[in-house]
Amino acid sequence: MYLVADISVEICAAKSCKLCTQYCPEANTIQYSDELGKDKGFKYGSAYVAVDRCKGCAQCVWVCDNMAKNYAIKMIMIDQLPKAALTENITYGEKSTTAVFASPSAG
Amino acid sequence: MSLDYVKFSNGFEKFMPKEYRDMVEHGPFGKKVTVSQMGNFKEVLEEHPMCAGCAMTLFIRLAMVAFPNPEDTITVGTAGCGRLAISQAAIPFVYGNYGDQNGVASGLSRGLRLRFGDKPKDVVVMAGDGGTADIGFQQVLHSWFRKERFTTIMLDNEVYGNTGGQESGMTNRGAVLKMAPLGKKFEKMDMLQMAKVAGCAYVATVVPNNPRRVESVIKKAVLIAREVGSTYIQAYTSCNIEYAIPTDKVMEDAKAVENDRYQFTEYVSDEAKQYLTERYGYKEFLAKPAAPAAAIPGKA
Ligand SMILES: Cc1ncc(C[n+]2csc(CCOP(=O)(O)OP(=O)(O)O)c2C)c(N)n1
Ligand code: SF4
Ligand code: SF4
Ligand code: SF4
Repeated sequence: MYLVADISVEICAAKSCKLCTQYCPEANTIQYSDELGKDKGFKYGSAYVAVDRCKGCAQCVWVCDNMAKNYAIKMIMIDQLPKAALTENITYGEKSTTAVFASPSAG
Repeated sequence: MSLDYVKFSNGFEKFMPKEYRDMVEHGPFGKKVTVSQMGNFKEVLEEHPMCAGCAMTLFIRLAMVAFPNPEDTITVGTAGCGRLAISQAAIPFVYGNYGDQNGVASGLSRGLRLRFGDKPKDVVVMAGDGGTADIGFQQVLHSWFRKERFTTIMLDNEVYGNTGGQESGMTNRGAVLKMAPLGKKFEKMDMLQMAKVAGCAYVATVVPNNPRRVESVIKKAVLIAREVGSTYIQAYTSCNIEYAIPTDKVMEDAKAVENDRYQFTEYVSDEAKQYLTERYGYKEFLAKPAAPAAAIPGKA
């Protein structure tokens, strides 16, 4: 088992600063969706992680804690993730992406 | 090397992997993308074997987002860690022998000009500090003296990372590394000054903890190299393995090094300033009117 980053939609969507997407060393890994959190009344969407590309470095955690001061990202053992986005389930739109989340064991 | 290579051949669309389809439909080719849109479009960089949390990886990722015309760009690299990622992108990559990258890029950029005339085809060299300041030093300096029109980027991790920690000319004096156990005896080379002496039209230092600044210097360097002359960017891209930086502290280290020896500096020749202003509408280089003496507080 290994650690991957997990972003809390509720905490991220309250800020939606997109900083972590610019600091993750891996390309196409922290994605951004305008839709996430809308069902809970948040307006601007949330970041999420394509866990099959995450290398577990936790740089995004540092960025969210220290730069965004929002504490939305935690490192979690991959089999403990409540739900996971995989690259094959992400679709790119004109302005944002959409992921279909699955339980990680099913991925 | 043109928008034509990032499309589907007739009838093959449904057989292409998802990553390729995303690249054709939602990649940056033929559009203007910025770092603030990252996470919303498909980036040209794919998965690669560089270490988790490596700042060099982040820099390469940002650089590829910043290329003004990725569909008309060729990267040139050499032995060292960076090529492991630079080669895994939807941008043609040329790889020669260790240290010959600026010689290869000279021939390439001249050949492209002969073949394509005025149509911009950007050549960007990205190589380590060992590849640039030690093994490739002679070819780097000569390409600058000849004013070859391409961009040279040094990925400065202040060590030979790919081969396990030997000191390079860019290592700091006194640094103790796995294969330099007594500590380095000489100063870090001043490649910035050498780039200016050799006649580069644009010289900048940058650290990847400021993505927008990385974007801005890469854009300027690539545009200036199209017509004015050689451009040089020296980027601090720490090696968390050889310098034992915990991966979640890589940006903290970048900030500390930025404050210490990697403060942002930018030199732009007068010709390059004029070119950026007239051709690409850059306002930052317009001559500012001198402030009237009476308006300066405290001055009689
Ligand atoms: C002619 C030649 N000599 C030596 C090597 C072995 N070699 C591969 S990478 C490397 C060091 C790279 O260091 P640097 O250029 O600083 O890049 P980094 O790996 O630190 O990014 C060496 C010595 C080689 N590939 N070719
Ligand atoms: S840095 Fe934190 S708050 Fe900002 S987008 Fe990322 S997870 Fe959300
Ligand atoms: S842990 Fe590292 S690789 Fe994974 S999403 Fe965060 S920054 Fe990216
Ligand atoms: S050895 Fe160092 S420079 Fe090379 S990929 Fe790993 S962390 Fe990066």
